Formats: sequence, structure tokens, C-alpha cells
Amino acid sequence: MDVLAVKGLTKKFGQFKAVNNISFSVKEGEILGLLGPNGAGKTTTIQMLLGITIPDKGKINYFGKNFFESKQETLSKINFASAFNNLQGRTTVWENLVVSANLYQVEDYREKIFRLVAYFEVADLLHTRYFDLSSGEKTRVNIIKSLLNDPRILLMDEPTASLDPDVADKTLSFIEKLKKDRKVTILYTSHDMREVERICDRIIFLSHGKIVAEDTPLNLTKRIEMTILRMVFDGRKESVAKYLSEQKQSFEFVKDDTIVVKTKEKIIPDLIFGIKNLGVWVTDIEIEKPTLEDVFLQISRSQ
Amino acid sequence: MSIKRIKAILLHEAFVMRHSFEVINDIVIYPLLQIVIFGFLTIYLFGFSGKLVGSYVLIGTLLWQIISITQYSISVGCLWDVWSRNLTNIFISPISTAEYFVSYMISGIIKSIFMFCLAGYLSFRIFHFNILNIGIVNLLLFFANLAIFAFAFGIIILGLIFRFGSRISAFAWAMIGIVQPLMAVIYPVNILPKPLQAVAHIFPPTYIFEAARNSISDPSVQWSYILKALSLNLVFFLLAIIFFNYMFDLSKKLGQFARLEG
Repeated sequence: MDVLAVKGLTKKFGQFKAVNNISFSVKEGEILGLLGPNGAGKTTTIQMLLGITIPDKGKINYFGKNFFESKQETLSKINFASAFNNLQGRTTVWENLVVSANLYQVEDYREKIFRLVAYFEVADLLHTRYFDLSSGEKTRVNIIKSLLNDPRILLMDEPTASLDPDVADKTLSFIEKLKKDRKVTILYTSHDMREVERICDRIIFLSHGKIVAEDTPLNLTKRIEMTILRMVFDGRKESVAKYLSEQKQSFEFVKDDTIVVKTKEKIIPDLIFGIKNLGVWVTDIEIEKPTLEDVFLQISRSQ
Repeated sequence: MSIKRIKAILLHEAFVMRHSFEVINDIVIYPLLQIVIFGFLTIYLFGFSGKLVGSYVLIGTLLWQIISITQYSISVGCLWDVWSRNLTNIFISPISTAEYFVSYMISGIIKSIFMFCLAGYLSFRIFHFNILNIGIVNLLLFFANLAIFAFAFGIIILGLIFRFGSRISAFAWAMIGIVQPLMAVIYPVNILPKPLQAVAHIFPPTYIFEAARNSISDPSVQWSYILKALSLNLVFFLLAIIFFNYMFDLSKKLGQFARLEG
């Protein structure tokens, strides 16, 4: 079941088309990554999905209902966390969380706040003013705020930016747990491709306000056929070069005994056997498969 | 309308106030200081113009605090969140605009009642001016009318802030001061030049301040003034809501609201 369906969403600021006729849907329990270079339209899309920017065209349906016709009901079931969004700086973490819990009409919020602050390791900061927290601590409190109402859909805009690797990993584990235990649907933006690969079921690439690619992380990386093969060998360099030229491979010697070949993944075994048959001993190999980052760079640069 | 969400904003207001000396200064210290200054001016005026004129100044200053504090509470309350980049968090929660307004109206009324009582007590103790002498019913109706006008004015300022952002935040304090001379707070409206008198009669508080001055010598209920003020207040309040909704929608269409904090 689609819990979020977006159709023909468009937003112009003057002559600039920030979001240009995008359509996508998200299923219950799915984590959808929204990726793209700066200015691609991710933030404007999220602002429209939160109702703080009104689209020029298009429809947003949450749980099968038009968002702008059932806004209050919808907003009680979703939440938002961002590393770039703040809570009230003058009041304490506890006070901020109590206000948020009441805004979302959370019952028995004390226990929930205590549980979440313990998990995200900010229990000792409960009576510290939000203003006095480090950026990593603020981000963790923002995430806690976004979890207070047990949202069915969570919009997360670079939630792990400014977190140290340990807390970032804990946050990702928590997101995975939310998905597994409660089937929470998450729309996730990040510039860290490793975490996107780790948690996202599907990815949408935005560029200049348009969707330019949409697939699973695995299928997206398969779009790049080139794999990098690094070989260390013991034998005549000229023979290896001649053989690879005959095979019409692109290669480069980085040392006299080390060569880097850009090739298709499926012919790597043939190349290694071919070189071995020349009487050259391959002492070490390293294969670098294309990553989501390569896909990101390829798409961004091609637009 | 959810009581819990209204409670959330009231708590939010209380927490911000607890940590902000500026708020205490603006809604407690500064108004009391005004009462003291105008109280001494009253004593001074007793010598020249008699007790009545002195009382005009003091009653006007006392009642002005209702407008000033209530309007401040509505307009500046939102600015704390704009400055903290927290406004988005409030408006992506299920709170409705009506709940948001009602919360700040309640908060403004609580602050105004507290301050009005304190200022009234102070003027009684120091300057021997008893505000209750104008009649309890008069006082309640004056309070209600001035508060409604303050709500409307505060909502208009809020609309401007939502549309144009914190660069016009000074309006939250200053705008009411700009129109204050037109509302004949401490002097009768007929001393204003004729064209300004016409403008003054557009503002509901003008009638209330006139009524208040009359009630010093005649504490019977000043229905004629009160009803005129109330009718104008209802129009003002309705226009303020329409204006705010228009500005809020425009701000969201232009992407300004999301950038308020950015």
C-alpha cells in the first residue's frame, strides 16, 4: 500500500523551476532515498511534503487522502528530523521535548522521552539549554523530537550530518529497527552514499528539479558497467601491455609491477587467466566495483 | 480545537519567558516604570489642571498596558521561534492556526491581567488612584475591547512577519507606538486636529479611552462608546484574520515561510 503518493509536483520561484513535475510513491515500511546535488530540489520537495511551501501544481496524498484537505490529521502521523533545523534555543532539551510531545498529543510522554534520550545518549543534557548543545547533540535531540509521536512516515533531511561515526551508526540502526519492528516509512536525504546504500530500499535521483533516475541501490550501481581491476604481477610488463591492448582494454601502469584496468566485471576472470597464460605470475588482485557515489557523480555531471 | 496543543504553546511561552530576561523587562519592568513616570506626572498636573486631568493621564496609561502587553505577547511570541529557527517545528505539527492564535491570546490575557492588577495596585498605593472607581462592569468591558483590538493588531503584525520575515521584527514593538497618538490615550480626542480626529475614530480604543475618561466622573456603564468600540473591534478582528491568512498563504506560495529561519 502506498502511504505517500506524489503526482506532478511542481514549484517555481520566479522563472526558476525548483521542482519540475515529479511523481513518485512510497510503500508502507519502505525507506526511499531522495538524492541529488545541491539545488536539485530535495529541500523544496520536503518543504512541500510538510506543508510549509505550497506547490504550484501537483498532488500529495498521504494514506490515500489529499494532504491539503486532511492536513491536521496527516501531520499528526508524520514527523520531520533534520540536522539543519533547530528547536527553541532558549529553553532546555526537556522543555523542548515536553512542548513537542504536547503538540503531537503524546500520552505518557515522560517515559518515552526518558527511553529515547537514554538510547541517543543525551540523558545528561535534559536540563541543558538547547542553544548550548553541540551540533551533534542538537541533531540527536531533533531526531528524538521526530520520534515522539511514533510517526508512520518520517521525513529525514541529512539526519546524521554532524554526528560522530558511532552515534551516526546507532541512528541508522535505530532507523533500521523502526522499519523492521513498526514498518515506519522513511523519506531520507543524505550526501553520505554509504548510509544511503545501507538503509534505503529505493532511491530517487533529482537533478534540476526533475527525477533523473529511480531504482534500488543495487540496480543503480549496475548501471555503471566499468569495474576497476588492480593487479600486481611478476613478469614482463610489455607482454601484459600487449595482451591488454589486443583485448581492447583501457589500462594504466601505476608502477612497473602494478596495473589498473577499467573493464567490465564479467570479463575479469578471462583477463586474469589470459595474463597467467603469458607466463606472468599475478601476485595480488583488487577489484573495485562501482558504488552509489559513482552513480551520483555520473548522474550529476551528465546533467 | 485541542486543549493539549493549546497547552503546548502556553508551556512553550512560559518556558521561553522563564529563560528570557528581555520578556520580563518588556512586559513587567517597562510597564511598571511607565506607570511610575506617568503617576508622578499626574501629581505634577494636579497642581496646574486639577485632579481630573491628572486622572486622565493615569487611567490612559493603565489601560494602555492592556493593548501593549497583549499585542506584544502575540507578535513577539512568534519572533522567539523565528530567531531560534524553531517556527517550522511548530507549523509542521498538527497545530491549527486557530489553536496557535488562541494559545497566544490566552497567554496575552494572563499576562495583561497580572500586569494590570499589579499596575492598578501600584497606582492605588503610590498615587491614590483607584481604577475600580470607574465601575467594575466598565472596567471589564474596557479590558475586553482593548484586548480584542490588541489581538487583531498582533495578528496583523504576525501576518507581516510571516510574509516578510524577521527583517521587519521591529514592527512587533514599534508599530503599536506609531498609532498610539491617534488613539487619544491620555488626552481627549477633540484636541487632535480635525483630519486626525476622523482617523482616530477608525480605531476602537479611541472610544474606550474616551469612555474611560468619562467614567472617572460618571461610573455608569458607557454603553454608547463601548458598543461603537465593540462593533469596530469585530470588523478589525475579522479583517486581521483575513489579512493574516492571505499573508500566510502568500508566504507559503513564495517559499518565504520555509526561508523565515534559513
